[in-house]
Amino acid sequence: MDYGNEVGQILENIEKVMIGKEREVTLSLVALLADGHVLLEDVPGVGKTMMVRALSKSLNCDFKRIQFTPDLLPSDVTGVSIYNPKEMVFEFRSGPIFGDIVLADEINRTSPKTQSALLEAMEEMNVTVDGMTKSLQKPFFVMATQNPVDYEGTYPLPEAQLDRFLMKLSMGYPNEADELEMLNRTDREHPIDEIEAVINKEQLLNMQKEVDSLYVDNTVKRYIVQLVSETRKSPYVQLGVSPRGSISLMKAAKAYAYIQKRDYVIPDDIVYLAPYVLSHRVILRPEARYEGVTQSSLITQILEEIDVPVRKELHG
Amino acid sequence: MKKNISLESVSSFILLLAGFLLFWEWLRPLEQITDTGNVHLFVIYTAICFVTSFLTRNGWAKFVIKSVSLLFILDYLFLDATLLSREWIQTLTLELRYNLAAVWKNDWVLMTSFFRSFLFLLLLWLMSYLLHYWFMVANKFFLFVVLTFVYLAVLDTYTIYDGQAAMIRTFVVSFLVLGLSRYVKLMNNVDTTHRKQHVWSWMTPVLVIVLFATILGIYSPKLNPQWPDPVPFIQSTAGHVGFSDGPVQKVGYGEDDSQLGGSFVQDDSPVFEAIAHDDIYWRIESKDLYTGKGWERSTELDFQELTNGNLGWSTFSQQVETTSYNAEVRPVNQNQLPKVVYPYGINRITSLDQGQFFTDSEFGLIESESSEQNQNLSYTIEYDAPSYAINELRDNSGDDPAGIKEQYLQLPDSLPERVSELALEITDGEDTRYDKAQAIESYFSTNGYVYQIEDVSVPEEGEDYVDQFLFETKVGYCDNFSTSMVVMLRALDIPARWVKGFTGGVEAADQPPLPDDYSLYEVTNNNAHSWVEVYFPETGWVPFEPTSGFTNPTDFYLETSGDVNTEDYMIDEEETEEETEQESSEVEQENEQLNPDEDESEVGGADNEEKGNGGNYYWIGAVLLILAILATIIYRKLTELRDWYLLKKWDRLKQRLEIEASYVYLLEILEKRGMPRTKGQTLRQYAKEVDRRLGTSEMYDITLAYEEYLYRDQPSLAKDNKRLHGLFQQMIDQILA
Repeated sequence: MDYGNEVGQILENIEKVMIGKEREVTLSLVALLADGHVLLEDVPGVGKTMMVRALSKSLNCDFKRIQFTPDLLPSDVTGVSIYNPKEMVFEFRSGPIFGDIVLADEINRTSPKTQSALLEAMEEMNVTVDGMTKSLQKPFFVMATQNPVDYEGTYPLPEAQLDRFLMKLSMGYPNEADELEMLNRTDREHPIDEIEAVINKEQLLNMQKEVDSLYVDNTVKRYIVQLVSETRKSPYVQLGVSPRGSISLMKAAKAYAYIQKRDYVIPDDIVYLAPYVLSHRVILRPEARYEGVTQSSLITQILEEIDVPVRKELHG
Repeated sequence: MKKNISLESVSSFILLLAGFLLFWEWLRPLEQITDTGNVHLFVIYTAICFVTSFLTRNGWAKFVIKSVSLLFILDYLFLDATLLSREWIQTLTLELRYNLAAVWKNDWVLMTSFFRSFLFLLLLWLMSYLLHYWFMVANKFFLFVVLTFVYLAVLDTYTIYDGQAAMIRTFVVSFLVLGLSRYVKLMNNVDTTHRKQHVWSWMTPVLVIVLFATILGIYSPKLNPQWPDPVPFIQSTAGHVGFSDGPVQKVGYGEDDSQLGGSFVQDDSPVFEAIAHDDIYWRIESKDLYTGKGWERSTELDFQELTNGNLGWSTFSQQVETTSYNAEVRPVNQNQLPKVVYPYGINRITSLDQGQFFTDSEFGLIESESSEQNQNLSYTIEYDAPSYAINELRDNSGDDPAGIKEQYLQLPDSLPERVSELALEITDGEDTRYDKAQAIESYFSTNGYVYQIEDVSVPEEGEDYVDQFLFETKVGYCDNFSTSMVVMLRALDIPARWVKGFTGGVEAADQPPLPDDYSLYEVTNNNAHSWVEVYFPETGWVPFEPTSGFTNPTDFYLETSGDVNTEDYMIDEEETEEETEQESSEVEQENEQLNPDEDESEVGGADNEEKGNGGNYYWIGAVLLILAILATIIYRKLTELRDWYLLKKWDRLKQRLEIEASYVYLLEILEKRGMPRTKGQTLRQYAKEVDRRLGTSEMYDITLAYEEYLYRDQPSLAKDNKRLHGLFQQMIDQILA
């Protein structure tokens, strides 16, 4: 709980750049603190890059950006060994994946081969180049963006890969008042330049540890399990939420509780996070679409149906 | 804020005033339908109770004011002695002792008027308390409004009380107040300083709508009742047997009409069968002399033998248009009917055995020679059914012959003045004799006169039969209606006479083969009837039917538009007979005089006669009211009882200092108070909603603490247990308040 104030400052910093997007900013921070990654599904120009830059600046972290294009190769992501004639050895030039905070822009524009290089790195925390395995340093936070799937010339991410993102967000356009405010602020000097670091890498890692050690009562764990298993029973669902989804939800809930300056998780955290954490892990049957059921509406519906615990669970 | 307070007290005053006005409507009919007198005193007492409840909250002050005014009213009504003197107290204790003893022995009838009034005042006290609670505390106005409407509707239907004006008053008052109370309820949740402006923007449309609806309701045309009087039907369905103390007779035809009145029981034994073209009225005779108690003949009967069965007289003149028919009459029971029944326009009568017939042309009586030995002989009648032209009846301008005037305008000297005054009032604005007769004919059915054969009074010594029916009882059967019409017509110098006979009966289930338009009718004792004939100089005697629920089968038409008004609709009903029980009725009357009449007050001063009509209502009404009050009190106590139980439970929980049990208890009482938690609602969401609805903030604080207890590793409850405890207490007080 020592970093409670810093969390507030980080949010404040980012909000200088991202006006009216408290929810998305908070959720991104939740993902970062929970040691997870975020998939942003959005149209270009709504400020994804700006948010990530502000975040990395506040955290005093190394920021890298990869613009995915159809001709991008895996080595463009991971890095490549180059022969040094002077010393007669191959030297490894690390790719952008070795940054602390990585913005993977328009991830669905590139080939599945390149996509999987990134996703593998996210999951395994290391990359293999020319037979050599290189570990990635913590903190490591990927914010991938993709255009809405129906566009031409895209390679949609396989469902199994989506599971590797802690949450999927969508920013959307700002409302008119916020947009006007944005214009006012960027009139002379961009606010991103004013942002100063709040904490350093070391402190961020400590915060992540603290989040990890937060207490989750059995009552709440059972609630999570109930929620997740309910997604597998729904008649609209072809493939329900995986156990990885349960773990992710608990991790995210811990981080959210941490941001709320609370050292225990309550069902409200779960209720708040479930649509962002679980929606992209559910594969609906085709019939569901005809009946107007979407992934997030399904999660909301299940949340309304299962009973929130009122009494303490007796142990043993 | 000051404005708000004044607005609230003004609105609550208006609510209470409206409650009082509505309750007044409950008291108003008492004077008419029961033997309660001095109703104004009871109204004043109710008003005192209402005002006291409004002005003070001090229970003792209320009690003292109400009981002192109760004593004052009783003193004013009954006690001659000086207030609080020794004698006064003695009388009081004596009264109480006597009446309590009577109550103890279930001799309700023996209770004195004093005690009845006392009980009634107590009832008013209770009612005022109850209404005050409904309006002021529970803010439930609607139930009482509905009850008031039901009460008025029932009284209007089943008693002589005319509820029309009361309905309108109740409608206006109750809807205005419903609008206002709705507004007050809405404003309870809104904390705004602009209430006063809102009041008018709310009340103006309410006012306009209510007044518009009222005016529209009053002036829009209304259907006549589809079922003019359900009482006889309900009574016959329920198998009700009258418990009147008056003489009870069997329905049927009787010759002695000198003492009319008294109750009847139904008798559906057949009298005769008739084959006729329609369910026409069967005439037997008319009578001309009204004695104040009944009908007699002014001259002796003078029978002439018929030659060849030709009658030689008619009730109407040659000018009247007629249609020729035949009819056959077959008497059924021996001795049932010693006279011949015949339709209007009879020309000729013959019997199968060629027996002789005798007739009295003055009263229209026909007897057969064989009536002594062979009563069941059937006879055939040729008749010309008359159709009266309404125009001609209106144009009848000639003078009545002196003989008719002399015989058919007779009225007893003892006839009260108000009968003729009423006749003048009814016919005010009518020019022609026909219109006057029609005005009187239709007066009864539109002015709350009720047709019933049970609990019908016999006029007492010195009381006029017609006067009693018109002004006192307003309840009776055909004799009451027809006699009253004849007497009122005569009071207007219109010659009229009283006619007896039978209505057309019902078509028999098994019809023999008959020519077209003819049917076989069965006529029973229940069909015995009396009606009215009015004399028109150029037309002769024209039948009228004043009795509620009956329709004149005689054909009337307007010359211009041809044949109108041929109504064949008939309700079977009954008629009278009264050779019997003359003595017993006298005995009854003597009893009445012996009955101790305690005081000069009219309250409860019922004699046996009146008890048959009003006294029952009085007691049934009182018992119902008391039951309603008890039910309400129990209902209210039930909630209190439950609250008490819940609080006890809380006291136990408090001792144990268990937050979980306490919180679950809180959820339980919230659910009982109509604020259940929905399934997917988290505790915080629920707490916010509860706080918003109750205007509290404690629920959220409690929930935060409870969450910590539920979900935290090592809850830090112990330290602010006391504060939490206070929060719980406040919350529970709020919920149960």
